[in-house]
This record gives sequence, structure tokens and C-alpha cells, in this order.
Amino acid sequence: MSETHIEIDNVNAYYSGNHALKNITVKIPKKQITAIIGPSGCGKSTLLKCMNRLIDLTDDVKLSGKILIDNEDIFDRKTDIVNIRKKMGLLAQKPTPLPMSIYENIAYGPKIHGLKKKSDIDSIVEKYLVLVGLWEEVKDRLNSPASQLSIGQQQRLCLARGLAVEPEIILCDEPTSALDPVSSQHIEQQLLKLKNDYTIVIVTHNIHQAMRLADYVIHLYLGEMVEHGQANEVFENPKDERTRAYINGTFLADVKIDKVIDTKGNQCPYNFVYAKQAMHSMEKGQILKIIVDDPTAVTEVPRGMEADGHEVLSVKQKNKTDWEIVIKKQG
Amino acid sequence: MNIRRLKDRISSRLMLAATVFACLLFFFMLISIYSRASPIFSAVSITDILLKSEWGPTEGKFGFLPFIMGTLWVTGLATIIAVPISLLSSIYLSEYAGIRLRDAVKPLIDLLAGIPSVVYGLWGVLAVVPFINNTLAPALGVETIGGYGILAGGIVLSIMVFPIIISVTCEVLRSVSHDLREVSLSLGATKWQTIKHVVIRKARPGIFAAIILGFSRAFGETMAVLMVVGNVAKVPSSVFDPAYPLPALIANTFGEMMSTPLYDSAIMLAALILLIVVMIFNILARMVLIKIERGVI
Repeated sequence: MSETHIEIDNVNAYYSGNHALKNITVKIPKKQITAIIGPSGCGKSTLLKCMNRLIDLTDDVKLSGKILIDNEDIFDRKTDIVNIRKKMGLLAQKPTPLPMSIYENIAYGPKIHGLKKKSDIDSIVEKYLVLVGLWEEVKDRLNSPASQLSIGQQQRLCLARGLAVEPEIILCDEPTSALDPVSSQHIEQQLLKLKNDYTIVIVTHNIHQAMRLADYVIHLYLGEMVEHGQANEVFENPKDERTRAYINGTFLADVKIDKVIDTKGNQCPYNFVYAKQAMHSMEKGQILKIIVDDPTAVTEVPRGMEADGHEVLSVKQKNKTDWEIVIKKQG
Repeated sequence: MNIRRLKDRISSRLMLAATVFACLLFFFMLISIYSRASPIFSAVSITDILLKSEWGPTEGKFGFLPFIMGTLWVTGLATIIAVPISLLSSIYLSEYAGIRLRDAVKPLIDLLAGIPSVVYGLWGVLAVVPFINNTLAPALGVETIGGYGILAGGIVLSIMVFPIIISVTCEVLRSVSHDLREVSLSLGATKWQTIKHVVIRKARPGIFAAIILGFSRAFGETMAVLMVVGNVAKVPSSVFDPAYPLPALIANTFGEMMSTPLYDSAIMLAALILLIVVMIFNILARMVLIKIERGVI
């Protein structure tokens, strides 16, 4: 294994009593792409947020353990977190341009770190827009609002913005989940190019994306690290049963179902109403399985549940007439 | 089936009528006030009304300048006092304070908004006016008429405006997306840099709207101001002078105006001026809001 860049040592995180990360110990290699995979709610994003301590923004969080970056413990109260964050670019799930022009979005980072000379800033803006392949598309409208760009362009702008503070590490939190396939591919290609110069940590629930990108894989499941290792080994020959199941896409077999309702014989929207009622009596994070046999409900119940803010984990046909919809309560 | 359709039709018509009524109300008011105020225009020229400072309705002198200036001074002072304090406290409440503190302070601020204005006026008379008279004016070596004046009016008014600006600004700041803050922090910005460059920038139109809302309330506020501002019809030249804002003029003279010809129209004119100025503020605010929204944000 190559040189270690981020050393995670026995990290635990608790969200208002919920044990979100359990004894995570792993070394993230330098100048490689490390993918953190696992089902939704397994602690992937939490682990990522621990690395740049954005987790501090969440109310009621308790952390223990150590994360060492260049031999500095970022959980130590004495560590200057602003400097640590400068070393790490973040690419969020949703493209989030700052409420300013394209130019200012890139210039923002260098400016807050004290760069004043206009010509220096100009050259940084150009350099990183070129690097992410956006320069040709925006060079004539650098002063127009960044929000006018397409979603895919916005995400590349965000990548360039993160790079402009000259970090060593790029943290990506499901960076392509809001993008169309072409833009996603674009971002993935950028990341593959960037790994020559940067350490990249990517959280993804897309197993295929992890297979395409990752050199090293960490598999989290319900806050626990069930497997980690070189990507080819993990994907080809997973040691843990849960990893094998996740890779084969049959993971839901082990999700703990908290409640099952059978709405067979009911038509839409009654099955949705029953599902809603059932959800109402459940706690956040609990999982509901609904069995339906009305073809309309197969699409409408998941859609309605997503509109209510819940997470649809799967929709599967069980036999000729029956479908199972598995939903996790959110919010 | 037919009854259902009939109900449907009637209910939609009824709602339309209610909406039209609400919209037209402003114009009804404008027209009726204008028609009562119009006699004065034939007797005195409009420039004399707006720019002359002699006020003597019994002698036919209708210079509105003291009242207009009085209103502007009091409102301006109230805004100068209220805006920085309420902005800083709303930034503190939304960005720095913990949930528990915020939940404790919010109802308190909302409570301030619900206090009747006469109570504020009374508090002004009993606390602010004596403070200016006994402490502040002697310390600064200025003359006041017993502490009554623009300063007292401005202080009382600014306290009345606080809750509006604070609660609206707080709401606006909280609505700025969490992701934006994370982005700025992840680039290595400090908390204050993030607030200054990103959160406030994003919230700017809303903050502006909050200030205009507060300002509009200050402009038309009558009771509390009337009680502490001195009510002397003279163009003020410092914050220690007394003033006589337009709403106070209307409230104080409404009963006696029947005795003098044109007095009635003069007071109606005061109401008209108030209405038009508030309208202009609102239009301006809307225009700036639209501009900001189309601009960088």
C-alpha cells in the first residue's frame, strides 16, 4: 500500500444519541481515489464530514477518536480548523454555487486567504476553469451569475472553486447524484485526471461508479466498517458477506423491516393513504415495507413517498401480481 | 351534481369579489381622501404647502414643511438606531446562538411586537424623556424642552421597530441554505467571512425588505411618537429639538378642524401625503428588490 494521507483512528460519532460511526480505523492512501460505499444512512457522509469537521455545524454531535492529516489531529481543539479545511476541497452532492458571479465563485477562496493582486486572481480563475474544462464555455460571461449555468456546469464550477484554494485532498459527497449521465461522466473523468495530484475521497452509493473510479474501497454498513482494502480485491473477492451482498445488489435482504403493510386489493390512492398513515406512527430511520398489487401504485406510491421526503430503498416484483416497496422514513 | 357545480361557481366568484374588494380599497381611500383634500389646492399653491414652514390654519397659512421634516427626522433617527442593533442581534441569533437560546429569545422579541403603541409612548414619557432631560442633555450641554423631542421619539420608535426587523431578518438568514455555509467553510473561510460574504449576500433582498417593513411602520406610527416628540410646528435643526410629525398632526387636530375653513382639507392633505410617501417607499423597495434579485443573486 502506498503512503498514507489521512489516518482515521478509532473514530466514533453520535448524533443525538444515535451511534452513527462505530470504531472506524482506516488509512486513506495518498494520491489515489478512495471510495466510501454503503447503503443510505450508513454513515458515509458523516465520516466525510468528520474529515473536514463540517460535522461541527450539526447540533448535538459527539465525536471521539482521532483523524490525522499530515500528522495533525483534526479533532484536537488546538488545531486550527480553518487551515485544515483549506487543505481539503469539498464537492457537495448538490451543485452549490455561491451567490456571486462565475469569476467571483472561483476567486472567493483565494481572496479570503488574502490574495489581493488582480492579475494573480485572474490567472487562478483561468487556470482552474481550464482544468475542469469549463473555460471555453464561460470565458465570455465570467461576470454573469453562476446560478445561470446548467447543473452540470455548476458542479464543474464547484470543483474548480474547491481546487482554487490549492488543497491536497478532494472530498466528494455523492458528487454526481444530481447530474445527468453526460455531466456525471465529465466529473468522473476529471476526478481520474486529478488523482495524479490529489488525494480523493468519494462517497457514493453507486457501486458502478466506485468500480470505475476507486483504487481503495471502504464499505460502511450501519455505522460499522465491514470491509476495506484495494478496490480490485474488494470488488472481486469480498471477504465480508455483507459486502458481497451489497455488490450483488441484494442488500435489501438484510435491511431490518420495522413494519409491513399489505394493501393488496386496494387501488391507488388508497394504498398511498395507508402507507402515509403507517409512516405517521413510525420513527425517523425506520423502514416500512408495503405490498401492493395495483399497477398504478407501483409507480405512484414511491413517487408520493419521495414527495413527502421519505427515501425509497427499493421497488421489487415478488410474483406475478405482487410488488414490494421498501421505504425509509425521513424528516 | 348541479348544486355542486353551482356551489363551485358561487364560491369562486365570491373569492374573486373579495380579492377585488381588497385591491380596490387602497384606491377608494386615495380617492376619498383626495376629494376631501382638494379644496386646499385652489386656495394655496402646492409648492407653498410643501415648502413653506408657517403653520397657522386660522390665518390661512398651510406650510407643511415642519411636519414633513419632523416625520423624516424621527423616522430617520429611529432607523439609524434600529437597523444596526437589530441586524447585529438577528445575525447573532441565527448564526451564533444555540437552539435553546434562540427558542427562548424569539418569543420575547415577538412579544415586543405585540405591545400596544400607547404603552411604548407611556414608557417613553416615564423613562426616556426624564433620562434625556436629567442625564443626557445636561451631560452634553444642550437645551431641550423637558426632554421631549426627536431623540425621545426616535428612541421609542426604534424600539418599536426592533422586533419587526429582527424577526424578519432572522427568518431570512435561517432560510439561507446550509449547503452554502458548508461550501464557504470548506474553502477555509472563517465563520465571520462566511456570514459576511455568503450568508448576508444571499439574504440581502430579504434584509432590505425587513428594513423597509420596519421603516414603513416607523413612518406612520402615531401614538407613541405623539406622546414624546414635543409637538411643536417648527422645522427641527437637531435631534434635541421637538418636532411635529404628520401622523401626530392628524391625530391631535382631528376634532377641532371643523371650525376653520380649509383646515379640514389641510388635515386630509396631511393624510394624503402620508399615504403617498408610504406608497412610494413600497414601490421603491419593490423595485430595488427586483433589481437585486435579477442582479448577482
